Amino acid sequence: MEDGMSSDEDYYSDRDSLDGLENEDSEFHCTPPKGPTTKVITKESLLAAQREDLRRVMDLLSLREHHARTLLIYYRWDVERLFAVLVEKGKDFLFDQAGVTVVEHQGLESPLGSTITCDICMDDVPSGETTREDCGHCFCNNCWTEHFMVKINEGQSRRIRCMAHKCNAICDEAVVRNLVSKRHPDMAEKFERFLLESYIEDNKRVKWCPSTPHCGNAIRIEDDEFCEVECSCGMQFCFSCLSEAHSPCSCLMWELWAKKCRDESETVNWITAHTKPCPKCHKPVEKNGGCNLVSCICGQAFCWLCGGATGRDHTWSSISGHSCGRYKAEREKKSERAKRDHYRYMHYYNRYRAHTDSFKQESKLKEIIQVRVSITEERDSRLRDFSWVNNGLLRLFRSRRVLSYSYPFAFYMFGDELFNDEMTKEEREIKQHLFEDQQQQLEGNVEKLSKFLEEPFDQYSEDKVMEIRMQVINLSVITDTLCQKVYECIENDLLGSLQYGNHNIAPYKSKGIEKASELTACWKANDSDKYPPSDCGASELDRPSGSGSSDESGCSSRKRARKDSPGGGLFDLNLPAEVIDRN
Amino acid sequence: MIDFGRVQKELQECSRDMAASGIKVSPKSDNLARLVGTIPGPIGTPYEGGTFQIDISLPDGYPFEPPKMQFATKVWHPNISSQSGAICLDILKDQWSPALTLKTALLSVQALLSAPEPDDPQDAVVAQQYIRENQTFLATARYWTESFAKASSLGVEEKVQRLVEMGFAEAHVRSALEAVGGDENLALEKLCSG
Repeated sequence: MEDGMSSDEDYYSDRDSLDGLENEDSEFHCTPPKGPTTKVITKESLLAAQREDLRRVMDLLSLREHHARTLLIYYRWDVERLFAVLVEKGKDFLFDQAGVTVVEHQGLESPLGSTITCDICMDDVPSGETTREDCGHCFCNNCWTEHFMVKINEGQSRRIRCMAHKCNAICDEAVVRNLVSKRHPDMAEKFERFLLESYIEDNKRVKWCPSTPHCGNAIRIEDDEFCEVECSCGMQFCFSCLSEAHSPCSCLMWELWAKKCRDESETVNWITAHTKPCPKCHKPVEKNGGCNLVSCICGQAFCWLCGGATGRDHTWSSISGHSCGRYKAEREKKSERAKRDHYRYMHYYNRYRAHTDSFKQESKLKEIIQVRVSITEERDSRLRDFSWVNNGLLRLFRSRRVLSYSYPFAFYMFGDELFNDEMTKEEREIKQHLFEDQQQQLEGNVEKLSKFLEEPFDQYSEDKVMEIRMQVINLSVITDTLCQKVYECIENDLLGSLQYGNHNIAPYKSKGIEKASELTACWKANDSDKYPPSDCGASELDRPSGSGSSDESGCSSRKRARKDSPGGGLFDLNLPAEVIDRN
Repeated sequence: MIDFGRVQKELQECSRDMAASGIKVSPKSDNLARLVGTIPGPIGTPYEGGTFQIDISLPDGYPFEPPKMQFATKVWHPNISSQSGAICLDILKDQWSPALTLKTALLSVQALLSAPEPDDPQDAVVAQQYIRENQTFLATARYWTESFAKASSLGVEEKVQRLVEMGFAEAHVRSALEAVGGDENLALEKLCSG
């Protein structure tokens, strides 16, 4: 946890200086970014994935692999904890706890041809048909095999103990493998798989991808379990609770919200969820575009969020002052509590839903924009680079996501279900205002960004396209900063000040949900986790651009830098993860 | 499959030193998978003087899986169900080792009679009594031993007499009582069902 906190702070301080005006010293921040440290572990790379941990333990304690594995399984693949126990309690304790015996028993070997009485079947067996484990206990191979079979069937493959009473030693996996495969090859395979999968099942840093049907992959994270990841199968999820990525909602909030939505959806019919009555003709209107200024077929324009009529003066440049996202407490005291609760829920639900729907609508924009780009490219234009529109679109998706989940967050943060004891009514009100200010700002800018991205720029003159480009770039930077601020507000002022509740959220990722990278089998063990090869490549590429490395600046005055290294800067907040990966 | 060779050897071994250990294991029928173990109540405990019968059934994986053991004689003990006779003992569960035998398992059960573990109870009522009213517990345990674990005890003679008066043959009554661990009602049921 502490690590997570401090790295967060680092991150923020980086950002702060970037948002400021003096960017000259940004060279100091040229440490390689914490690139994708999450890894996809496939069936094929499972062995390679645990190799590094095994290697560390084997090297430090000069152990054989199976002993290292036994130790790691016992300590749930937590190498740090294992080493801590070693330092505090010593090697003997460490081994004893995990059932590792590394004493040699060569002196005890019986001469060939002699017979031994196996204490299990009570038969006399030639010594050649017996096996002595590391702990010194010797039984006949038949009994060992039977014992292994029973344990494998019981699902105990990872910790098969010696057969002797009160012997805590874990059996050598090679012995299990050899003996079992002679009689039951299929069981030996099962054993092998169970053993390998311990790395996933018994390891808090690794979890199966929750995709259905299951893609067969697992995801490994490096430090903070409160993060959101994308598997190579495309599944995006919260690593902590394995449901869909839901930050800035905490896992508990999301669980409650999802359940509430399921329950309430039966009373809220499709119409309420998908349409709004036109304030003039009262026909239900379904939204077919991404932005929230809706025109009814009757000609009336209205705000999709609050449903209120807006005149023709209601332009997009003035939506930032549009404050319908604020929850206004029911003024009439007469309305009973249940009704108020329902209204409250509907307020947040409708906004959550509106942004989720916008997101879906906007997803279609991607193809439309590709077409527009290719049309514009065919024209002999001085505009060559269109990364701004793609980056802007990605920024829109990400901000939209933050915005939609910020509503269920607010529902619980400022409701009386979870934090009634945490703050007074006054405190709550102040905090709610603080949060809603941030949320409103973000909302206004996201809508503006959406509007500019929907412009059919392929039909415009070059100057106009340049203007749109400028707006999109600007708004991208602004929304990114605002998202960051919303998270900061949540983490520091809201969740951070809780005394009883323990709510953690995945930190804000400017580049969107991190895509876990494939784990390569040839991955060198001494390659630090933090700087996987793919990232080093990216940063090296960027470094020559020198001053360009600070081109991300929140201010529009920096745009010239973007021309030099479009979408390539180290700190480019608008740079999608994909672009970096390509580099 | 049960390793019957080993079970045979265990039975021989057990009968060889029965005099020393006091522990007896005998097959219930000609099928070696179902057996009855007998242990004497440990001296210096409220179970002293009683003879306790334990039903044993061997799973297919024996000796790689633990035998199933259950008291057939009713007994008042924190780790043994006063209703079913189920035993809460680690070596009969996850601490079982194939190197243990029926005899060593029964010895452990006998040791359990001397050293109850009320913190890990099978019978919560008994365990509560053991902790809070130890005197009452000792009296109850002694009474149960008298009533159920002593074939020659007065209580049993009275039961035999009552059942004989109902018109059953004395030999049948005695074997029925023994089979159900001295419970008069169960014996009556058994006698009625033939």
